[in-house]
Amino acid sequence: MLRYTLKRLLVMLITLWIIITLTFVLMVSIPGSPFNSEQSSNETVQANLEKHYNLDKPYVVQYLLYIKSLATFDFGPSISQPNQTVNDLLGRGFPISFELGIVTIIVAVISGIILGILAALRHNGIIDYIAMGIAVLGISIPNFILATLLIQKLAVDWELLPVATWAGPEYMVLPVIALATGPMAIIARLTRSTMLDVLTQDYIKMARAKGLSPWKIIFKHALRNALMPVVTIMGTLLAGILTGTFVIEKIFAIPGMGKYFVESINHRDYPVIMGTTVFYSAFLIIMLFLVDIVYGLLDPRIKVHQKDGE
Amino acid sequence: MKKWILLLLAVVLALGLGACATSTDSGEGDNPKQTEDGKKDKKEGDKDDKGEKVLRLNNGTEPKSLDPSIGFDSVSWTPLNNLMEGLTRLDENSQPQAATAEKWDISEDGKTYTFYIREDAKWSNGDPVVAEDFVYAWKYMLDPDTASPAAFLAYFIEGAEEYNSGDGSVDDVKVSAKDEKTLEVVLTAPTGFFLDLLTNPAFFPINHKVAEDNPKWHAEADTFVSNGPFAFESWKHEEEMVFVKNEHYWDKDVVKLDKVHWAMVNDENTPYQMFVSGELDVTGIPAELSDELIDGDNVYIGDQGGLEFYRFNITKEPFQNKKIRQAFSYAVNRDEIAEFVVKNGVKPAYGFVSPGFIGPDGKDFREGNGDLVTFDPDKAKELLEEGMKEEGYDKLPEITLSYNTSDTNKAVAETVQNMLSEHLDVEVKLENQEWNVFSEAQMNLELQFSRSSFINDYSDPVNFLESFVTDSYMNRTGFSSKEYDELIKKGKTEVDEEKRWEYLQEAERMLADEMIAMPIRYYNIVALEADGVTGLLRHPVGYLDLKYADKN
Repeated sequence: MLRYTLKRLLVMLITLWIIITLTFVLMVSIPGSPFNSEQSSNETVQANLEKHYNLDKPYVVQYLLYIKSLATFDFGPSISQPNQTVNDLLGRGFPISFELGIVTIIVAVISGIILGILAALRHNGIIDYIAMGIAVLGISIPNFILATLLIQKLAVDWELLPVATWAGPEYMVLPVIALATGPMAIIARLTRSTMLDVLTQDYIKMARAKGLSPWKIIFKHALRNALMPVVTIMGTLLAGILTGTFVIEKIFAIPGMGKYFVESINHRDYPVIMGTTVFYSAFLIIMLFLVDIVYGLLDPRIKVHQKDGE
Repeated sequence: MKKWILLLLAVVLALGLGACATSTDSGEGDNPKQTEDGKKDKKEGDKDDKGEKVLRLNNGTEPKSLDPSIGFDSVSWTPLNNLMEGLTRLDENSQPQAATAEKWDISEDGKTYTFYIREDAKWSNGDPVVAEDFVYAWKYMLDPDTASPAAFLAYFIEGAEEYNSGDGSVDDVKVSAKDEKTLEVVLTAPTGFFLDLLTNPAFFPINHKVAEDNPKWHAEADTFVSNGPFAFESWKHEEEMVFVKNEHYWDKDVVKLDKVHWAMVNDENTPYQMFVSGELDVTGIPAELSDELIDGDNVYIGDQGGLEFYRFNITKEPFQNKKIRQAFSYAVNRDEIAEFVVKNGVKPAYGFVSPGFIGPDGKDFREGNGDLVTFDPDKAKELLEEGMKEEGYDKLPEITLSYNTSDTNKAVAETVQNMLSEHLDVEVKLENQEWNVFSEAQMNLELQFSRSSFINDYSDPVNFLESFVTDSYMNRTGFSSKEYDELIKKGKTEVDEEKRWEYLQEAERMLADEMIAMPIRYYNIVALEADGVTGLLRHPVGYLDLKYADKN
């Protein structure tokens, strides 16, 4: 296990380095500069700005400076918000995105699994159709439309909840619903189909024949196996939701880190592009690693430590 | 048996939802900061009931920087304009009036300005505002190491451009403190609009004692020292800013608001929904709702100094030919574009310089120079034929109209495409690009025919017109004319205001005749204001001013 973990860590580091290098190459090869605003300007001002941010240096030097800043975990100042360092931006935005993301995941997983189980148990019954109807709606309604709709009905028309911003628990309800619906639908469908598959397996029949209580069959024997595909998608889902979502955070004016992924590229804010890319990649890689570990716990047939070759 | 499984699941579902709700709560509870904020909000609400006047605005995003020299954009300068005050401030007619400076003398040759700073002008920490604060701020802005994007605005000061470009020394910048309260500035040329220029946030003072002590004084609310109508109370980055009335402000008796709350909601629809539910007092109008809302009683519409226009690239065929360029311009019906495409009460542009610049004769520059371009399809056809003959074209080379991606830009470009097809029988291809890619290509003269926008930095026609002098960074058309350069030079330096005005009007006429850029429409400011909100000052060139604002 230790050897496996170390090996995985090394691979993770190499993957990160490749991502960093690719990002850098892509970044400098797209046209434009961080100082192209619609405002007037002149050559002297532009030259001063480039010098200030080391953008007048050769690419190799810039690359080395980046690597150095990454190695020291100091991403430097943002260009579009010069008073803030990239560390400040991420340090402030990530906890908020994370908080929203965790609640979203919990809601999505619990409601998704329950919907899935209900649908599987009442296969082709009315409950199945209702549950799958909800799931299809959840997958097909884009979250930004759902968000606007929720605001219009629950906040503007019925005045039950605040429209937007981030000032307390009640501000979290609408964005969580908007964000959780999509993943909930995916999880519900996955759970339903694997559950259906599992319920026809011999060992379930065996358990029934043995006279085990129905809920023990479902939760102990069936669900545990039915959850494997859900765990598989959890890695990407977690990394995606926990690091913030651009659209939902924008609509609800949530000060998370979702916007930096998109805006840093629009602004050619190089330090922020690097910072967010590295942060997200590292997060995703770690999530995928954790998912592999969880596989082993859920299914004893998968033995992670034997993967590194016998 | 199965039935009770379902029942059980229903219970689990209920418990699960309950657990979620509690986890939401406890998640919040674990975070002391959030709880505190929640309490604070309530307290504010209470005070609201006690009659405290809190104006709720939306700043859109986090300001780029509240360092006057760095934050060169409206999300930074709009809040800053209410925290700080320059030597002069715009009044309700958008004219510069004495502010931090009580009065001033201008030398005979119009180049030396001596400002006398008010005895009672104070910083929010109680320090007096002194001449040295301006000297410090302006020299800091011009320091090449500061890399201020607004530095070029100060090039009217002698020695400024040399210092900023690294050729000169800081000591040669001709701005000095004669004594504690007297500031002397020497300009390179008499600049008729210098007092107006000084209302721009780039020229705000910096408390030099504070800044020398803590160069990052402007980054947080508790270190921020202001000298304007409001002081900084709190700043939650990316979330909100709260300003309170500045008790040290020399003119504090006219400030009616107790607090200004700035949200940062960067979306088109959400602020409107917040406005409807009473969470904002002022907001813009979402494009889709324009028809419905624009005629309401609570709508403010005002001019904004600036122009949307299309550039011809005269280094690319077929736009090297003046008549072809003119033909294109005659074929475009700007009334229709303004009224049916852009909407929101914008005005069509029949000249380059937007309305709102009053000359020495008391007349608006625009009025004085009249309509320079018109819609005339017959003349357009005629000119196109002549132009094609001159160039020996049987058929026009392929033409592509480029714009930076946005719904409005697309709608306008498609309309122009239709008009050219209808009136000139010219098929134009459309191409949209992401802003940064687009502006780089435009700067490198790679685009043939492209969209542009200009927003005034200061209140004078020369601000726009000088974009087209030879090799200007803003030129982007390939246009170069000695005659034009000469007119602009005179338009910047002439002491006699009337003559200066004439030079500028001649320059504008020349620009229209050469037709190197085709005006489309002027910009405007549109806002929805809640009942009881009064006294918000908006200027064609300048930033929202809350000094006289009130909320009842």
